[in-house]
Amino acid sequence: MKTARRSALTVVRTWALACAIAAALCAQQLKLNLEHLAAKASDSVDISLNNSMLQFAGKFLDGKDPDEAAVKKLIAGIDGIYIRNFEFKQEGVWSQADLDQVRNQMKAPDWSRIVGIKSAEDGENTEVHVCNQAGKVTGVVILVSGPKAFTVANIVGNVSLDSLADLGGHFGLPKLEQKKKK
Amino acid sequence: MDWLEDELQQALRRQEPSPDFEARVTSTVSRQVNAAMRPVLLMPRWLATAAAVLAIAGAGAGYRYHQGHVAKEQVMLAMRLAGSRLNRIQMQMKAVRP
Repeated sequence: MKTARRSALTVVRTWALACAIAAALCAQQLKLNLEHLAAKASDSVDISLNNSMLQFAGKFLDGKDPDEAAVKKLIAGIDGIYIRNFEFKQEGVWSQADLDQVRNQMKAPDWSRIVGIKSAEDGENTEVHVCNQAGKVTGVVILVSGPKAFTVANIVGNVSLDSLADLGGHFGLPKLEQKKKK
Repeated sequence: MDWLEDELQQALRRQEPSPDFEARVTSTVSRQVNAAMRPVLLMPRWLATAAAVLAIAGAGAGYRYHQGHVAKEQVMLAMRLAGSRLNRIQMQMKAVRP
């Protein structure tokens, strides 16, 4: 009887742990319901890559190519990449509601906005939100909204500054400086 | 001329075939057909199976390879997009705080 109870408890605990992990991952992965913009866009990019697809793609990345090697290293700690990029021929195609439905999913205390830039020159708003859990960056969202463009890039997983710095010099990315621990 | 006619009539008279004629013809024909079909039917049976297995395995591997390359291109595009946005952000931040 005791063995059966123990095994049942183990199953329940495993399920609870799995559910907690799934819930935590879901919190970092945003629901991007922006399909209606794709129909109006002159150019759109829709990328959804979960962990298994990233690992699968990683096998095809050439370690000898510097760009691909950097990406291969970066995706090792990433659980998913979700990107929606829309370019429009006319202004005012996307609405504030589209922006809000993305923003409203990033709630404190896990999420915090680390960068917010409003450009008066081209009317573009740029925001970088970071999800911190147990002192680790577990998700990043880059939100760029301009008169003729709308971009959401959601990277789920352990996106460390080290990994981002490794991208320095690749794809035109400059090296990011990190604060070193004293 | 009667003898000639008689000879001709004798030679060309209708003769009924023997009762087993049809059976003999049928068995000969079927024997020949079977002999001709045997190598075609027996040999390619395993060969066709092997070819089908190879074709399916090859198509599967090819499809997987194609899927992998599509995934790789998507990852590279995603990184290029995120990278260009980050680059722009850093440039804007540098412009604000040189």
